[in-house]
Amino acid sequence: MVLSPIVAFALIGLGSGGLIAGIGLGVVLSYRGGGVINLSAGVLAMLSGFCYWALDTGYFGITFPTGWAITLTIVFALVVGVVFEFGVVRPLRGQPPLAKLTATLGFFVSAQAAVVLGFGEEARPQPPILPSGIVSILGYTVPVSSFWIAGIVLAVTLLFVGAFRWSRFGLGTRAAAENEAYATLYGLSPNGLSLANTLLMSLAMGLVGLLGASIAEVDSSTLPLMIVPALAAATFGSLNSFTVTYIAGMLIGMAESVLIFFSSQSWFPTNGIGNPLPGVQELMIFVVLVVAMFFRAGKIPGRGDIVERRLPPAPRPRAPLKAAMKWVPLCAFLMWALPFGFREGLITSLIAAVSLLSLVVITGFVGQLSIVQLALAGVAGFTVSHFFINFGIGFPWAAIIGVLLATVVGLISGFPALRVRGVSLVVLTLAAAVAIENFGFTNSTWGASVTGSLVPAPSLFGFNFGPNASFHGIDGAEPSPLFGWFCLVVLTVIALWVCNLRRSRLGQEMLAVRANERAAAASGVNVRNVKLIGFAIAAAIAGVSGVLLAYSYGSITADSYDTLVAISLIAFIYICGITTVPGAIQGGLIYTGGLLAYAILDWFGLQGNWLNLLVGFLVIASLVLRPEGGATYLFYRSKRPASEVTS
Amino acid sequence: MSAVLSTSGVSVSFGAVRALSEVDLEVREGQLVGLIGPNGAGKTTFIDAVTGFVPARGDIRLRDRDISGLPPHRRARLGLGRTWQTIELFDDLSVRENLAVAAQRSTLASGLGEVFLGLWHGEEQVAEDALDLLDLRHDADRMPSELPQGRRKLVGVARALAARPRLLLLDEPAAGLDSHESAELGERLRRVVDAGLPALLVDHDMSLVLGICDYVYVLDFGKLIARGTPEEVRNDPEVRAAYLGGSTADMASTADMASTDMLVTMPGSEATER
Repeated sequence: MVLSPIVAFALIGLGSGGLIAGIGLGVVLSYRGGGVINLSAGVLAMLSGFCYWALDTGYFGITFPTGWAITLTIVFALVVGVVFEFGVVRPLRGQPPLAKLTATLGFFVSAQAAVVLGFGEEARPQPPILPSGIVSILGYTVPVSSFWIAGIVLAVTLLFVGAFRWSRFGLGTRAAAENEAYATLYGLSPNGLSLANTLLMSLAMGLVGLLGASIAEVDSSTLPLMIVPALAAATFGSLNSFTVTYIAGMLIGMAESVLIFFSSQSWFPTNGIGNPLPGVQELMIFVVLVVAMFFRAGKIPGRGDIVERRLPPAPRPRAPLKAAMKWVPLCAFLMWALPFGFREGLITSLIAAVSLLSLVVITGFVGQLSIVQLALAGVAGFTVSHFFINFGIGFPWAAIIGVLLATVVGLISGFPALRVRGVSLVVLTLAAAVAIENFGFTNSTWGASVTGSLVPAPSLFGFNFGPNASFHGIDGAEPSPLFGWFCLVVLTVIALWVCNLRRSRLGQEMLAVRANERAAAASGVNVRNVKLIGFAIAAAIAGVSGVLLAYSYGSITADSYDTLVAISLIAFIYICGITTVPGAIQGGLIYTGGLLAYAILDWFGLQGNWLNLLVGFLVIASLVLRPEGGATYLFYRSKRPASEVTS
Repeated sequence: MSAVLSTSGVSVSFGAVRALSEVDLEVREGQLVGLIGPNGAGKTTFIDAVTGFVPARGDIRLRDRDISGLPPHRRARLGLGRTWQTIELFDDLSVRENLAVAAQRSTLASGLGEVFLGLWHGEEQVAEDALDLLDLRHDADRMPSELPQGRRKLVGVARALAARPRLLLLDEPAAGLDSHESAELGERLRRVVDAGLPALLVDHDMSLVLGICDYVYVLDFGKLIARGTPEEVRNDPEVRAAYLGGSTADMASTADMASTDMLVTMPGSEATER
């Protein structure tokens, strides 16, 4: 019977479906409780997973019996929930949804760094807590744990549904979500309700972390990135319905599992070297999300928060040429004079600054937060690599074609933004980034195998100016300062150009669109075109950074343009100032792997992940204290004379 | 005199609610036309319909050109300038930049040309003129959030003027201004119209509308109930019934008070007007 394997694989998928649904419940709880699109729900689950693994295996020196380990993990989940409430939800109360979402991104980056620092990168085979037996269905073996996970998450779902429908707590949460001010007037405490919801959410995530053990190893990326299908499920539930989220999550998990079965079939498309096409699951989730957004986006309820704030201001740049004349020669000198490790850090910083400038344009100017930018950089990077491998075309044509291709893909990614706004766009671009990475970059035809895809050094008329060029720095080591200078020139040109953009009419129109789309249209601004041009420009800049990154690595893999890196990039730029050019440049300097990171590694022996650990806290602190960002503050604070404070 | 704006049979429905039905209105060259009515009468909806922000049925013509199918920015570029009851400035841009956005007529080509090749246009003189006309030069480099409500209203008007419109649609520009500011605004509007820019003025301030307009339309529950010169409208029994049921004398005396709009503002009606 043809159907029987499909049914069996669908049943196996109940397990991951349960995890997706569980994380989806966390997303819904966070949104209903505090209006937070919680991108770190999966991270919370991962933390509990590691906690349980450590307690159960005696990683910290004491081995606990399973019962105790579970209990302590639940306590740990609650503690993390309290931290999340007071560290992320509470400080950001009343901030716009985008700021709240960014704060959860910050938490994401910090928690992930903490886990990597504490446990290392490798996956941990977690001892399962569910019965590990198998049953035979239609001739296929299905693990019993799949049914357990599906059942337990279903029970939790029904519990939530009941609590929200019939308890005073549920009523209060619903009232506060409608209108915080009125809820307060009726004697409900928004803070108390928010805390209760967060604790409930972290409990559920703790449970997911424990359950995840039975079907997967614990590592620092699987559960965190399960947020993407979970968001798709929650979007089907309009971020409001537990039941719909559960059903959608289960269906996504089952569909993924069936796709795994399909990929083992002979008719399944292959990637050219005989392996089944990778990333089809991620592509499916992206499509599912697009469908969910199309049908449900308008139905996601807004929240009646008391306070509302927006993106930080984007001041007009002052004398950018003067600033460039001061900093560029200094940087050029350092490129030659610094020892090789610092030089490498500086080059990484310059390249990161270029990719951050792409975020300045699309988020700072046009007001659309997009996670897909680094994936666009990857499109350009892999184009450069494959034009050399497949056609023997090198610099500059491969680079130009790569940037153009990134621009085209970026333009396409801009079309949903005409319909989908704000946090929904973030969710959509996150799914797109994951899909491009898995479907495009891990595909050895278009992307790279794990061993990497070769990128030739850039050279013009036989003159090599790549990292391996013969001209060396003062210490006589690679990477060549020539390549550093090349990156510096590119960054300088783009930075000055972005300054020019801010002052131009197009830039003013972008900010007008960012501020008020209706009023912009009434002033004759073609909102659609301005957004699309913004996406195209940002994509082109991202493409340039991708090309530089490819040249600097010499060989690239899918990890070079990883979605998790994209998320940390956004965290860094938020700290420094997402609306200005100095913000992007400072963000590049403090970026993981950049100059500052190498300096603390060299001087204090601390890894770049310590920076990431700090970044999450800094993101939240800067969102609350200096939403315009550190660099923006430093560069523009003197602009306002004291007299302007009056009036 | 030819009609700058003429609408016929303009109707707007929100679900089952008929917000506007069959509105025929005309603004002629050189005219300042008033549109009054109690809150919820559909005045703002009418401006939204004309400028393309709500879907409407009926015929809307700007200088004999049918604009009813065009998106808002196209209508704006054809010469429809408007202000908003809720001001709606670009909070991220300085006052001067707010005006500059409206003043520029950038196309895709000119926009990209400017950014890529540095083809600057001289700072728009029109924007500067609008600043002067509304006495905003002092505030030109400030951010809108730093200005008090009254001045932000003026920036909204100046922004509409900076676009060099052929017709100005003003949605309650005097709301939130004191009586002195309101009278001053009236004077300035009159000067703008006399200089050749026709305008449609929607406001609650009866003394302002009846005092400076050439012609007045009265809207109630989405229907036009009267039209005529200020004098005719003032004496129209149906208009008096719509407003408080008061006598002409009442209207004349309340019109002098600064808080006229308080009398015609019914609680809770603000939301329905949007």
